[in-house]
Amino acid sequence: MSVLSVQSVSVSYGGVHALSDVSLEVRAGQLVGLIGPNGAGKTTFVDAVTGLVPARGRVELDGRDLTGRPPHTRARRGLARTFQSSELFDDLTVSENLLVTADRPSWWTALGETLGRRTPANPAVAEALAVLGLQDLADASAHELSQGQRKLVGVARALAARPLVICLDEPAAGLDTAESAELGRRLRAVADAGTALLLIDHDMSLVMGICDHVVVLEFGRVIASGPPARVRTDPAVIAAYLGASATTGTPETP
Amino acid sequence: MEQILLFAVLGLGQGALIAGIALGVVVTYRGSGIINLSTGAVAMASAYAFWSLTTGFFGFTLPVGPAAAGALVVALAVGVLTEVAVFRPLRTSSPLAKLAGSLGVLLTMQAGVLLIFGTQPQQAPSILPADTITFLGLTIPSDRFVLTGLVAAIALALGAVYRWSRFGLATRAASENEQAALLAGLSPNGVSLANTLLAALVAGLLGVLAAPIVQVDSITLPLQVVPALAAALFAGFTSLGVACTAGVLIGVSQSILYYLSTQSWFPTDNGNAMPGLQQLLVFALMVVALYVRGAGLPRRGEAVEQRLPAVPLPDRLLRPALVAAAVAVVALIVLPFDFRQALTNSMIGMVIVLSYVVITGYVGQISVMQLALSGTAGFVLSHLAVRWGVPFPFSALGAVLVATLLGVAAGVSALRVRGVSLAVVTLAAALAVEQALFNNTSFGGTAGVTVPPPTLFGIDLGPKADFRGLDGNEPSPLFGFLVLAVTVALGLYVAHLRRTGLGRQMLAVRSNERAAAAAGIDVRAVKITAFAISSFIASAAGTLYGYNFGSVSAARFTALAALGLIGFAYIGGITRVSGALAAGLMSTGALLPHALEKWFGIKGTWALLFGGVSLVVTLIANPDGIAGAAHRRKTAKKAKSPEVFRGFTPVEVKEVTS
Repeated sequence: MSVLSVQSVSVSYGGVHALSDVSLEVRAGQLVGLIGPNGAGKTTFVDAVTGLVPARGRVELDGRDLTGRPPHTRARRGLARTFQSSELFDDLTVSENLLVTADRPSWWTALGETLGRRTPANPAVAEALAVLGLQDLADASAHELSQGQRKLVGVARALAARPLVICLDEPAAGLDTAESAELGRRLRAVADAGTALLLIDHDMSLVMGICDHVVVLEFGRVIASGPPARVRTDPAVIAAYLGASATTGTPETP
Repeated sequence: MEQILLFAVLGLGQGALIAGIALGVVVTYRGSGIINLSTGAVAMASAYAFWSLTTGFFGFTLPVGPAAAGALVVALAVGVLTEVAVFRPLRTSSPLAKLAGSLGVLLTMQAGVLLIFGTQPQQAPSILPADTITFLGLTIPSDRFVLTGLVAAIALALGAVYRWSRFGLATRAASENEQAALLAGLSPNGVSLANTLLAALVAGLLGVLAAPIVQVDSITLPLQVVPALAAALFAGFTSLGVACTAGVLIGVSQSILYYLSTQSWFPTDNGNAMPGLQQLLVFALMVVALYVRGAGLPRRGEAVEQRLPAVPLPDRLLRPALVAAAVAVVALIVLPFDFRQALTNSMIGMVIVLSYVVITGYVGQISVMQLALSGTAGFVLSHLAVRWGVPFPFSALGAVLVATLLGVAAGVSALRVRGVSLAVVTLAAALAVEQALFNNTSFGGTAGVTVPPPTLFGIDLGPKADFRGLDGNEPSPLFGFLVLAVTVALGLYVAHLRRTGLGRQMLAVRSNERAAAAAGIDVRAVKITAFAISSFIASAAGTLYGYNFGSVSAARFTALAALGLIGFAYIGGITRVSGALAAGLMSTGALLPHALEKWFGIKGTWALLFGGVSLVVTLIANPDGIAGAAHRRKTAKKAKSPEVFRGFTPVEVKEVTS
């Protein structure tokens, strides 16, 4: 049973087809990689799934239809995401950034808080910080973090919502190789604990190393899909990444 | 029909002035990305210079030609000063800070003109030929056509400069992408200076030429920037042709509207012409422009990331609030009557600024309308109490409810509009409410409407209550206590809001609306809630104003007064309750201006000048305001002395390691 089921999603900007008929499934506990050359439509796909760009097609989360729902409703139903440029809330501290997704105050709690009632600390925040090893940064202001730290806080913020699915848009960009491997290990642990993850990244060794399933996009279309070992040797993928001549074995002339 | 045509042609004069200011606005925006609220004030400065040089104000009289040249020199000098002292230092600030900077220039120039020339409107001589032409059987002064032709020629010339000259190319490059233009070796400072000077020259020229048609004064002339902004919105802040045409057409339609309002079939305000139709028209046009052109302004690729003033978590609320309240209670009893009055004024001013802390400080939206909501609450209170005999506190609560609903309605309709566009359209709305609603004698009127004192269980709580201070004069400390209770409650609420989930959601929306939506925040709901809270606070202040003076009049709730309050809010620190306190102490009739006037004989106009200048200085040197600077000093001291450290690590000085 898929937690996230995306069926034939298409996005066009004017006459340009950024995505055509892309379908994808992510099961609970599964880590699915989404790769493709620059401009293949990976971020557009996440924007379409999370409702930030208008798209045709169908998005289901845990069997419920999310098509046409606004972004915040999708997020509340359990669809979390991170941003390529780790768009943190710069005016808040790190733990407040996480609290924003962890606590979704109802009218009732908001009223209680207004009257001075303290809401108990949300354990999801400490948990998410611990998963990414960010405990020391809890009280730091978001705008004074390094780029790598911002990326990790972005992931922690998505985790703190305790979502069903997280779409991670290049979480390892800006991290060095060791940090990237460490992040991969932690993401694997998150998936193994039951969360469905969709990982977009340029770091091939990271994607191929930890993902259960890899989908490859080129020019807005799926050109390959399958376990990492098979995708790695797929001629279409090699062609997309290394140039058409790679399939024929003759080096490309510059 | 001929009459309509006549009025249309007469409106060309006003239209040319609006078009000229609109051209100035567009040129400045293209050159530096600043929406210059002071463009109308440049026209005012040169018009006053021209008037004073031709009428012997300074003890000598110049012929018309040299006087006009002198006036243009004044406009250029204002342009240079504005560019070097305000726009250049604010180059990397947020668009809202730039807008507030130009507001500082507007307030400074207005105060300057008031100090030099006084409040009396003046009539300047005309440069243009005074003959008339006969057109379709109508006798029309020819200067209207000359002016319109001149503005059109200026627009064409500017267009040609931008299209074909190297300077025009540089300007277009810088307005498309400042960063790339910088890398290509263009100096954004040079481009910006040249455009600001061009804008000042155009606005100044129109100020001199149109001065004989419109009167020279310190309120209507600078506020001509509002219809000019409407024209600029139609032009998307880019197209000179559209800005010029729209400006002229706005002037023409205002004139036709005026003619129509004098007709017998047109609804009247108790027999007089309906007030504020012009301003309503401008507001409606702005709404149309935003609808047609979309709510966003053309984005510029600015070279530096912009941050808004910080909103730190308050660590202690109750103790400082209690200390401040205790001081105020004692002061309300022992101070002489004039200082008691000033203290009460300060507290009411603080409450209004609190509404800006919520909507601008926490959510990052400038709504100039908030003071108009205060006024609405005041007038509604008077009607409820006087006409329908509703007793306190229900009359006050009813008035607050009505004005809050109006604020929420405005907020809902402005959801798509954000940032600088919101500031511009709410400025037009504030002006329309002031002129059309507050000046309408069935609702308000310039004479004012009375507000009976608040009485609870037969006890008078108003300023004329029997319990008097030590000197036995009005206002009664009882009323001060009432105001104090409201002020402390609202201040505590706004400070506490920063700690709650709703407060975090507001700041998340302020930082990044996309990321907030993706984090599960209903951005629209948060904005509407913020508008509701802010409107509620502003309305509460409006009822207090009414009780304070025993009457409500339009003069207290003008759009210009609202702009001044926003200026004070920025100086105090727009993201903090302590900043609202500082702003309240500086506001009109408050302790600081009163003490300055009483002890040093410094008049309120000087305070306005001081306010304008310190707004600019604050934006450049200390964007967090007085309260922010105080907070920084405190945290720095705490960090140095670990024995007073109380658990919360001041993040500014913390070593961050991963």
